[in-house]
Amino acid sequence: MKSIIAKAAGLTDVGLKRELNEDSFSTDTKTGFFVVADGMGGHLAGEVASRVAVDLINKSYKKWFDSDAPEEDLFEYPDPSLSKIGNYIQSSIRLANKVIHEMAAENTDYNGMGTTVAVLAVMPDLIITANVGDSRIYMVRNGEIERLSKDHSIVAEQVEMGIMTDEEANQSPLRHVLTRNLGSAIHLEAEVFEIEPSSNDRFVLCSDGLTDLVSDDEIQQMVVAEDDPEALCQNFIDKALTRGAHDNTTVVSVYLSDIEKSKSDPFKKMGSLLADMLTTTQKATKLFKS
Amino acid sequence: MAKLILMFKDQVMQEFPFFRESMTIGRNPENNIQIDNLAVSGHHAKVDKVGSKFILTDLQSTNSTFVNDKKIVSHNLKDRDKIQIGKHVILFLSSETDRAEQSGIDETMILDTDQQRELLAKQGTATGQGIKKIGVLSFLSGSEIGEVKLIKKLSRIGKADNCEVKLSGLFMGDTAAAISKRPSGYTITFTGGMTKLKVNGQVIKDSVQLNDYDTIELGSYKLQFYQKEAESI
Repeated sequence: MKSIIAKAAGLTDVGLKRELNEDSFSTDTKTGFFVVADGMGGHLAGEVASRVAVDLINKSYKKWFDSDAPEEDLFEYPDPSLSKIGNYIQSSIRLANKVIHEMAAENTDYNGMGTTVAVLAVMPDLIITANVGDSRIYMVRNGEIERLSKDHSIVAEQVEMGIMTDEEANQSPLRHVLTRNLGSAIHLEAEVFEIEPSSNDRFVLCSDGLTDLVSDDEIQQMVVAEDDPEALCQNFIDKALTRGAHDNTTVVSVYLSDIEKSKSDPFKKMGSLLADMLTTTQKATKLFKS
Repeated sequence: MAKLILMFKDQVMQEFPFFRESMTIGRNPENNIQIDNLAVSGHHAKVDKVGSKFILTDLQSTNSTFVNDKKIVSHNLKDRDKIQIGKHVILFLSSETDRAEQSGIDETMILDTDQQRELLAKQGTATGQGIKKIGVLSFLSGSEIGEVKLIKKLSRIGKADNCEVKLSGLFMGDTAAAISKRPSGYTITFTGGMTKLKVNGQVIKDSVQLNDYDTIELGSYKLQFYQKEAESI
């Protein structure tokens, strides 16, 4: 399968106020699979939770993807609104949640640990995003920014209900209180979205260390202005640092290449058929000549 | 500076600015806040400043210490907490800077799930939220199908077998268009083929958000988009 990913990069920074970096991330351009996780819980627990989430989600997703696993074989029931691969991701997050939940319950050092996740899967004909908590996924398409994740926080839910504005939410002391994470409950549903890829789409996955300090508009401007995803990640980290970086900041950016859209164009089909015929004739002539 | 305000029957008796590391409360005169009442123990409770926090501890008093009507052993005081000792109330007021520091706690927390359910249930009934809506495509012309419910997060429209909405036509793309349910709502995207995608008569080359009763045209097909409550389907 030809990859449609042009370039991708990931970067994390502990910031200026925290001693530990509890964020984790993974980038895999070969399978087109990207994860950012923001851990919480004292001592080393947050770090452990985010690491376990990233590792387990990668592992189970790839196992099911490579073996083309039937949906009945997945962990817990499949979601009928999702594609098979969408269910691989939903299921891999549920499984990671169960493991983290059990680790937290069994080991006193891990009591109360949890993590957010933001997942992006890129395939030639499908883009899937999934998230739990307040780590976000942005898409910049044709210069416009769109969130492909839904925050699971009290303030985000209040904004959705129309009882709070975005500005009020950003100022609220409750803005870091999550309503969902991996680790706190036995059952978990991730927010999953599926869309068609488009040429030169750009994606950003990030922890709230970035979005607390950099607005959606600024993210859009910075993505549009930078053609190198590695430089973009560095620009984001630098921005967070100049604004105080009170939290760990993690950014993964993924740039897609030009995607040929009109695969089913009948004239193109005829064109390629003609080209095939020509090369065959050429080969035949060569053969004949020799 | 934070303050403790001693009150009796809603009358302010005295204000105590919090200028030391620790404040003691009790009947004995050596306490920082003395309450001369038999319901109050000699050394009843104390408040310690720990970093930006103020921790109230009951010193195993006979009649206990309450915060906002709850019995406590130790309690992290928040702005406007009411400490009840006997028949007296001590109001805790944190300073501007303390408040800023407290609200600036950037530690991410998870809401207790029972509490959350209660809260959400309350808000859900209050605002009539919690009703899930689902997108529907209704054929206005070109097909006998009638209606198609968009039960998938991504529904493809075209002549390929994997399309949720199958349309025919020589120039119809294998996947001509796709409708995805995104955080902002339903969005239709032109994905390829010789058949033009029109929404409300406008040719769409990329994507456009769908609103209720928008008309979608693909070749000779004309459809209308709207949303209805998922329960009623």
